[in-house]
Amino acid sequence: MHLVKEWLQRPYVRRILWITVAITAVIIALSFVMVAFMNQSGGPASSIMDEIEKTMFVLTIACAPLMAATLAVLTYSWWGGWGSVAATDAPTEDGPGIKTNGVAVVTWITICSLLAGFLVVWGLVELATITSSSYGSVPANQQPNSVKPVDVNVTAQQWLWSFEYPDSGKITSSVLVLPVNVPAYFNVTSLDVVHSFWVVEEGVKIDANPGAITNTGFTPTKLGTFNVRCAELCGLHHAYMETQVKVVTQEQFNSWIREQGGNKTS
Amino acid sequence: MSTAVAIHEEAHVPQPKQVGRPGGFLRRTNFLTALISGVVTAGVFWVVTDKITTAVAGAGATNSMALPSGLNINITMMYIGWVIGFMAGIGAFAGPIRWFLGHDLTHADAEYMAGKDMGREKFWKFTTDHKVVGIQYLVVTLILFGFGGLLAMLIRTELGATWTEVFNPNFYNSIIGTHGIVMVIAMIIVISGPIGNFIVPIMCGARDMAFPRLNALSIWLLVAAVPPLVSNLLMGGIRDGWTVYQPLADQAPIGMIGYQICIITFAFSTGIASVNLITTIVRMRAAGMTWSRTPILVYGILGSSIMGLVWFPMYQYSQILALSDRTLLTSFFVPASGGSVWLYENLFWLLGHPEVYVIVIPATAGMLEYLPVFVRKPLFSYRLAVAGIFGVVGLSAVVWVHHMYMTGWAPQSNYPFMLSTEMISIPFSFLVLVVLGTMWRGKPWKRLPMMAVYAVVWNKVIGGITGVFLSDTPVDQYMHGSMFVVAHFHYMLMGAGLFGAMGVTAYFFPKMIGRYLDEFWGSVGFWTAFAGFQVTFMSMFVAGLQGMPRRVLQFDSLFNISNWISTIGAYIIGIGMLIFLYAIIESWRNGIPAPDNPWGGKTLENFTTTPVPHENFPVLPVVTSGPYDFGTPDPYELADDAIMQQTEGAEKVSAQS
Repeated sequence: MHLVKEWLQRPYVRRILWITVAITAVIIALSFVMVAFMNQSGGPASSIMDEIEKTMFVLTIACAPLMAATLAVLTYSWWGGWGSVAATDAPTEDGPGIKTNGVAVVTWITICSLLAGFLVVWGLVELATITSSSYGSVPANQQPNSVKPVDVNVTAQQWLWSFEYPDSGKITSSVLVLPVNVPAYFNVTSLDVVHSFWVVEEGVKIDANPGAITNTGFTPTKLGTFNVRCAELCGLHHAYMETQVKVVTQEQFNSWIREQGGNKTS
Repeated sequence: MSTAVAIHEEAHVPQPKQVGRPGGFLRRTNFLTALISGVVTAGVFWVVTDKITTAVAGAGATNSMALPSGLNINITMMYIGWVIGFMAGIGAFAGPIRWFLGHDLTHADAEYMAGKDMGREKFWKFTTDHKVVGIQYLVVTLILFGFGGLLAMLIRTELGATWTEVFNPNFYNSIIGTHGIVMVIAMIIVISGPIGNFIVPIMCGARDMAFPRLNALSIWLLVAAVPPLVSNLLMGGIRDGWTVYQPLADQAPIGMIGYQICIITFAFSTGIASVNLITTIVRMRAAGMTWSRTPILVYGILGSSIMGLVWFPMYQYSQILALSDRTLLTSFFVPASGGSVWLYENLFWLLGHPEVYVIVIPATAGMLEYLPVFVRKPLFSYRLAVAGIFGVVGLSAVVWVHHMYMTGWAPQSNYPFMLSTEMISIPFSFLVLVVLGTMWRGKPWKRLPMMAVYAVVWNKVIGGITGVFLSDTPVDQYMHGSMFVVAHFHYMLMGAGLFGAMGVTAYFFPKMIGRYLDEFWGSVGFWTAFAGFQVTFMSMFVAGLQGMPRRVLQFDSLFNISNWISTIGAYIIGIGMLIFLYAIIESWRNGIPAPDNPWGGKTLENFTTTPVPHENFPVLPVVTSGPYDFGTPDPYELADDAIMQQTEGAEKVSAQS
C-alpha cells in the first residue's frame, strides 16, 4: 500500500492517469458513433442485431481503460514527458536501468487475463443467446415457439437469390417477404459456388454452400425494407448479388402469398 | 598449443580434387541465363506436353472424362518447366550434379559460390553468402511492394469512382486477388528475408547461415515463383480474391494455374528458409550466447520460422489438390462429385491464420530489438517478451476456425475457437507491456526507427480492439465478409507489419548498406504514408460498419462518402511510400556513411566493421553479457531504499524509546 501511494504521488504517474481517463472517455464516446453507423440503413431490425450492438458496446467499454492506458503511456513518451533527445543529437546518458518489475508484470497479466476471461464469457453467453434466437440447427417443425415459424428455402446462384416458401405451395420469389414478429427459419444452399446469405439489418449471416444445407433464422421486429447482400466473393458479378427483405404485417404477408398463387397461408 | 597442432594436422586431411576452375559451371550462370533457360524450358515442356495430350486424344480415348482439359495440363507443365528451367539456369542443381559425378565441392568452389572478391555481379548469381541473399531479398521485397501497391491504387481508384465501372469485373476481381497474395508474400518475407538473412547470423555471431546453398536456393525459388503469379493477369486473371475459395477457383481462367504454381513453389522457398534459420539460431549462436542472452529479434525470427515451417505445407497441399482437381479432374473440392468446399477452407486457414503471426511477430520483435537502444534502457522484462512470442506461436495453431465462423461447417466449434482466439490476446498483451515498460521513464531519441514504434503501437491498439470485435462470434456475424474485416487486417498487416518493417529496415539499413537512411526524406515518407493510412482505413471501418461487403466494385450509395475519403487516403499512402522509396534509393547511393556501431547498440552486429567483411568476424566473438545492458541505477529505487532505511531507522528509534 505504501508503495502504491508513493507511486501515485509521482507527477508523471498522475499525468498518465489523467490522459488515460481522457482517452477512455473518447473511446466510450466513439462506441456510440460506431453503433450509429451500424444503424444508418435502418437497423436494428431483430433481437439478434440488438444483441450484436449491445456486445459491441460492452466489448468496447471493457477494453477502453486498457487501450487508453497503453495510448497514454505512448502519448506521454511521445510528447517528451520524460524528456527526449532530438534526432540531430545523439543520446549521451543512459536511462534508468529498470530490467523488470514483478509487481507491474503480475498486475498487468492479471488484468489482461481477467479482461480476456470476461470477453470470452460474455461472448459465449451472447453466442448461445443469438444461436437460440436464430434457432441454431433445430428444424422449424421442432421449434418450441408458440408461433409457427415461416419456413424459407434460400437458394443462391451466380448471381441471384431465390426464396421458396414450402409451406405455401411452390411460391418462389426474388425478394424476401416476411411477416413482422413471426420467426423466420432458413434452409440455405447454393447451386454453384460458395455465397454468403447476409441479411444486413437483421444481423444474420450464413454461408450458402454447394452440396450442403446450412440453417439460420431470426424474428423481424421492425416493419420496413432491408438489405440482403452476398458476403462471400462469388465471381464476376458478386457486387450486384443483392436483394431486399420486406418486413410486412401478417395481413399483408397473407395477401402477398395469395397474389403469388400460394395455396395456404402460414 | 595443442589446439594449434590439431588444426595444423587437420590441414593434412586430403581435400577433394579441384575439377576445373573454382566455381565450375556456376562461373557461367547468372540471372540472365536463368531467364533464358526458364523461358526455353517452359516452351519445350509446352510443346512436348501438347504433343502427348494430342496423341492420347488421337489414339481414341473414348471416355471424354478420362481426358483432362489439354490447355490446363499444357499450362501447368509450362509453368513447371519455367521453375525447373529457371533453377537449372541459375545453377541451383550444380552442387548435387557435381556430387553425383564424383566432383565434391572444394574450399575454393565454396569461396567462389560465396562471392568472395566478386563485384556487383554476385547479386545476380546463385551466391551463398547470407549478406548477398539478404540484399537480394530486400530488393525483391521492394519490387513486390511496388507492384502490390500499384494494384492497391487501382483498387481504390475503382472504389472511389462510385459513378462508373473503371475496370471490367474480371480484371477488378483479378487485381484484388493479385494485390492480396503479392502483399501477403511480400509481408511474409519483409523481415525474415532481408533482416533474417543478413542480420540474424551476424547477431548470432556466426560466419554464415547453417546451410548457405539452401539459402541461395530459397531466394531464387522465390524469384522463380513470382512470374507465374504475375502472369495470371495476362491469362484471364484470378478473379477469386487471395483466398481462391473452391469451387469458384475451379471456374477461373487458366491464370489460376499461375497462382497455384506460385504458392507451391513459394512454400518450398519458405520451408527451406525456415529450416535454415531455425538451424542457424539453435545451433550456431556464439559461445556464451545462452538463451538468456539471445537478442529478442532472433527469438522473433525463430518463432516465425517455426510457424512457417509447420503451417505452410497446409496451404501448399490445398493448392496441389486444387491443381489436381483442375488438371487431373480429381474432385477433392468439387461438391458435385463428392468433394468438400469446407476441406479447402480448413486447409487454407490452417496456414492463413498463423501467417498473420508469421508477419506480425518478426516486425514486433524487430522493434523490441531496437527500442532499448533508442531509450537507452534495458528491454523491460525480457523473459516476458520471449514468453509472449512463444505463447503466440503456440496458440496460433488453434485459432484458424475463427475465419470460418459463418461457413456453417461446424457451428458448435465456434465456442472453443472463440475461446482460443480471445486467449491469444494474452501473450500479445505481454509484448505490449514490454514496449510500455521499456518506454517508461526513458528519454526517447527521436530518430525514425523510434518514431515508428509509436506509430506501430497506435496501429496495433486499433487493430487489437477491432480484432476483439471480430473474434467475438456474434459481432463477427455482422462483420464477417465486410469492409470492416479488410480495414482490421490492414491495421494488423500493414499498420503493425509494414510500418514496423519500415522502422526495422531503417534501423538495420546502415549496417546492411553501410549508409544511414536519410532521416528527413525517410521521415517525410513514413509520416505521409502513416497519415494516409489512418484516413484510408478509418473510413473503411465506417464503410464496414454501414454494411458494405468486401471485394465489390459497385455498391449502395450509402457507402459513397466513406469510399471517397478512403481513396483520397490511399493516394496519400502512395505518395508517402514513393517518398520513402526515394529515401531508400537516394541513401543507398549517397547516404551518410555509417560507423561500425551506427546506433550505439550492444548486440553482436555492432562489433564488426561496416560494411560487414566476408565471413563477418575476423575472430568469432564470445558473449559475456546480455544484449540490453543499458541503464544507470534507478534514482527512484535509490530513493525507495533511502525511504526504507529511514523508516527502518525510525522504527528502530521508536523501538528503542
